[in-house]
Amino acid sequence: MVEIAEIAVSAAELKLGTEPVQGAGVRLSHAGPRSRYSLRARDAKVLAEVVGRTLPGKIGDQAEGVICLGPDEWYAILAEDTVLPRGEGLPVSVTDVSSRALGLVLEGPAALAVLSSGCPLDLANMGVGRATRTVFETVEIVVWREAEDRWHVEVWRSFATWLWNAFLAAMPGAHG
Amino acid sequence: MSGFRLADGGRIDRRTKRNFTFDGKAQWGYAGDSLASALLAQGQMLFGRSFKYHRPRGILGAGVEEPNALVTVDRGPGRITPNLRAPSVALHDGLTATSQNRFPTLKTDLIAVNNVFSAFFPAGFYNKTFMWPRAAWEKVYEPIIRRLAGLGDSPTTRDPDHYDATYAHCETLVVGAGPAGIAAALEAAAGGGRVILIDEQEEIGGGALSDPAQWPWLEEASAKLAAMDNVTVLPRTTAIGHYHQNFVVAAERLTDHLSVDEAEGAREKLWRIRAGEVVLAMGAIERPLVFEGNDVPGVMLASAAKTFALRYGVAVGRKLVVMAVHDSGWRDALALHKAGVNIAAIVDMRRDVASELIEGARAARIACYQGYAVTGVSGGQAVKGVTIALAGVGKGQKIDCDAVLMAGGWTPTVHLWSHAKGSLRWDEAWGAFVPDKTHEDLRCVGACGGAWDYGKGLSGGLLPAPKPLHDSKAFVDFQNDVKARDIGLAVQEGFRSIEHIKRYTTNGMATDQGKTSNLNGLQIASGVLHRPVTEIGLTTFRPPYTPQSFGAILGHHKEALFQPLRKSVIDDWAAAQGAVYENVAQWRRARYFPQGSEDMDAAVARECRTVRSAVGVFDASTLGKIEVVGPDAAEFLNRMYTNPWKSLEPGRCRYGLLLGEHGFIIDDGVSARLAPDRFHLTTTTGGAARVLNMMEDYLQTEWSDLDVWLTSTTEQWAVIAVQGPKARRVIEPLVEGIDLSPEAFPHMSVREGKICGVDTRLFRVSFTGELGFEVNVPAEHGRAVWEAIWAEGQKHGAVAYGTETMHVLRAEKGFIIVGQDTDGTVTPDDAGLGWAVGKKKPDFVGKRSLARPDIVAPGRKQLVGLLTDDPQAVLEEGAQIVADPNQPVPMTMIGHVTSSYHSATLGRSIAMALVAGGRDRMGETLHIPMPDRTISAKVVAPMFYDAEGSRLNG
Amino acid sequence: MILIHCPYCEEARPEVEFAYGGEAHIARPVDPSTYSDEQWEEFLYIRNNPRGRHHERWRHTHGCGRFFNAVRDTVTDVFETTYKAGEARK
Repeated sequence: MVEIAEIAVSAAELKLGTEPVQGAGVRLSHAGPRSRYSLRARDAKVLAEVVGRTLPGKIGDQAEGVICLGPDEWYAILAEDTVLPRGEGLPVSVTDVSSRALGLVLEGPAALAVLSSGCPLDLANMGVGRATRTVFETVEIVVWREAEDRWHVEVWRSFATWLWNAFLAAMPGAHG
Repeated sequence: MSGFRLADGGRIDRRTKRNFTFDGKAQWGYAGDSLASALLAQGQMLFGRSFKYHRPRGILGAGVEEPNALVTVDRGPGRITPNLRAPSVALHDGLTATSQNRFPTLKTDLIAVNNVFSAFFPAGFYNKTFMWPRAAWEKVYEPIIRRLAGLGDSPTTRDPDHYDATYAHCETLVVGAGPAGIAAALEAAAGGGRVILIDEQEEIGGGALSDPAQWPWLEEASAKLAAMDNVTVLPRTTAIGHYHQNFVVAAERLTDHLSVDEAEGAREKLWRIRAGEVVLAMGAIERPLVFEGNDVPGVMLASAAKTFALRYGVAVGRKLVVMAVHDSGWRDALALHKAGVNIAAIVDMRRDVASELIEGARAARIACYQGYAVTGVSGGQAVKGVTIALAGVGKGQKIDCDAVLMAGGWTPTVHLWSHAKGSLRWDEAWGAFVPDKTHEDLRCVGACGGAWDYGKGLSGGLLPAPKPLHDSKAFVDFQNDVKARDIGLAVQEGFRSIEHIKRYTTNGMATDQGKTSNLNGLQIASGVLHRPVTEIGLTTFRPPYTPQSFGAILGHHKEALFQPLRKSVIDDWAAAQGAVYENVAQWRRARYFPQGSEDMDAAVARECRTVRSAVGVFDASTLGKIEVVGPDAAEFLNRMYTNPWKSLEPGRCRYGLLLGEHGFIIDDGVSARLAPDRFHLTTTTGGAARVLNMMEDYLQTEWSDLDVWLTSTTEQWAVIAVQGPKARRVIEPLVEGIDLSPEAFPHMSVREGKICGVDTRLFRVSFTGELGFEVNVPAEHGRAVWEAIWAEGQKHGAVAYGTETMHVLRAEKGFIIVGQDTDGTVTPDDAGLGWAVGKKKPDFVGKRSLARPDIVAPGRKQLVGLLTDDPQAVLEEGAQIVADPNQPVPMTMIGHVTSSYHSATLGRSIAMALVAGGRDRMGETLHIPMPDRTISAKVVAPMFYDAEGSRLNG
Repeated sequence: MILIHCPYCEEARPEVEFAYGGEAHIARPVDPSTYSDEQWEEFLYIRNNPRGRHHERWRHTHGCGRFFNAVRDTVTDVFETTYKAGEARK
């Protein structure tokens, strides 16, 4: 009979790769360290002033690494060690979440297919430069189309191992 | 003709032979053959045994409708697939197929004795017979039924194959690549949108594959489709189901048509397709006719015989009789004749048949019997001849033949249309239901839409017979062995709805879902009930269209990728130390750290003693964390939690108790105020997402005027708990910029500074009752800081401890674990946490419920401590508690044990329990009946160690 | 899988991004202490279970994160409309 326990345990053996992996038409790698902020405010102008940056006005838009995720929510993926002012006392929330997520990058003509293996959005119709929170199968991600064939995927740290290996499973030529 | 292979014709490659085995016997066919066509070419008529009576059965159809010829294909260990339809199995070298449902062999089947006694196995037999005596069920009936039940055998070893899955999007999805589907795809593709064309067969073409005249067109259309960038053509792909808003799930078979050596990569791929428009071009399935002997091997659909001859170059017999009630039977007979198959006679119930058909038959020297019906078939394992009679009741006359073709008219394949909740209307000319209305952007083209001119016919497959219906042994559902008389019996026994008749007789409930039996069953019921079919209705089609492997449905979600396993950044360190783990929500957490040959009890006892006497280090990273920021942060928390938050000063922590609006505890945690407008909340590990969602809900929908925002920071921080009298000494050398003295940094406070050169939020909190700190550092530094603390701890005899020790230590102090000591029906007062409820607060979530009559009523279960009379007896968590152990069974249970451990610190067992009126029972002895003994225990306060809390200060 | 039109994102998104949130337009009373036991019971537990039009809450959890309201036909599963939280019942 099939040993269920044995199957369940094998998840513990998954490893988060450190080096880029090249598959047929697609390369998976780490985006590297970033500063990340969750930015919230009812009034975008107040927040923009606090952080000294342009905040895209429409959900799904992105400007210089700042993504509009919701009507009062922006997610900033910035150069490492960027520090944003907290705007204490003002009706804003600036929270450093640099360590919360890891950024994975899928690039190449087959990157779209790898991402589509588990993401239900019509990604082919997603404009270059746009970004959104969504899911890859059961795991929440933020997808940012950095270029025609380059996708930056943010995932919470503890889900990264699973996601890395799920990408590998969908990458032709990258798994046995 | 060699064997039954026609001299020429078909789409097979006669230069490429394929060797395979069937029931262990070496066989061969050609590339392009199906398993069915290759075996028919060798003269094999017997393919399987029926489900209930184990009657010998042959091929009925040439496609997915095949109910009889189910085979098991063996592709090596773990790669055994039962219940494949022989006509849909592509032939390849090394194919190993076996017949099913026979014991011991296909030709000699002992269980076929069921057939002899079939008169005693009518519809509902099992329900009626195995009712009594009750005692016989387990020992006699069930084993026998289990021996007989089931089709094929499930694989017993792990499936080693990979399965792929993807989402796909297109403007137009066409299901079915016959002429109508191909035309629809070409038309849609010309518009420039993305088009996906799928078809379940080995190659696209559908019905055109059985019509050589259409082959040149087919080749041209295929090339055109292949050349278009916006078109994806997926043969060997079955649309399993249509779901809301044109979401169609399809499974592509990638390797089953290849020999085991050639097969590379994933075996199947699941396509989850979202389409703007769906075009169903699924064709129609020919209906069998219902007459005595219609299941003898060699009786099959006329369309099947045509496909075997024209697509595969195989004659299904040397002398064929066609039994038709529809023009298509005549046309197929003429096509077969032209292909070199010998048609002895065409029998048709109808007198008025188009003259061109009759002339065609005469020209081919085929005898025509109009107004006649087949009333019997001679032969057991193969057809030897038929008896026909005028109007089915006249004097019988025999015709020798070795195959009988049935042409009962056509049933449009409306399965996916029905999945989409499209309505159907009865079409008298078709004698079938055809698509009517839908609210989806969905349309049917070709035969499945009722648009196909193939002539006229009678509707209703039951042929007139000399015997009355209740004696009729004519089969309606071949796979489930349902006879015409079973349907009559069901009606006679009072069943009126077709859904009930279906379940009572099992008509249409086999793996083929009644593709060939539903309409015949319906028509027979209609006749017996003297009501039109439209008043009886049709049973519901549900996915999957054809049986589907679990592998493709799982896709990548198997084994290691079954679901994410979350690990903290310190997990690898714990693994290297030999930690034993337990799973908490999706996280795995170190449960204990055994040394040498220690078992859990020994390891936990050592860890507990060391924490109480020296110091222990614990990975608390999985705790949920939420950053609450904004001018109204304190106001918001004040409304959410039971206790007051506005007065909490920056730098201080507070235990927060969260209720649902129903007044029951749903989460708890210690939270800190970092600044007037910034809080760092903690939640239970399992409650993190739930609590955040609940808080968002209140914030967005009830108190949207508040200027406060929530951010999950669970994964931002690694959390290292350092607990024990030497905790301060361990972290002291590592911390910068924080005065750790008890005066400057009292219990329940928080400071921001540095540890090991890294930013930290340092909490002075204790879930153990000892002096304790929780070191929060950004996750990527967690491992390094842990190792530095660990190295420092070694100077003070530190242990690493896991969740089990954490549980024991907190239980010694009577701290609850939400979800273990509470179960969703426990109020703060029940849990002894009345002190955490702000009495002066006008409102908070759940407050009103705390005044509900049931909640203020006496006798509620309250959390208490239990000390067993035998100090070494450790109660079982979940065990029921009674007041009087000598009362008769069933006893009155007054509560249950929620937490129970051996406490190394106390040298005895301790337990917590929810007991009715528990706090009024202090000092009482209660009893815990177990299977082998009854354990007695005294009720005490749930506080077993250092009640005055002096140890918190080290 | 249903597509749900998110009134904040202003586009139809796949169901797996959303979480169901129970019946809509059941506002928490401003001062629950003024509610009788019967009124409070009604607020806590009594829900409509219509065959047909149902006003219900959804959250675009894995998208913009917002709660919003919807009118869904419980027989056909078809969404008649969705609208932002706080807007009048449709």
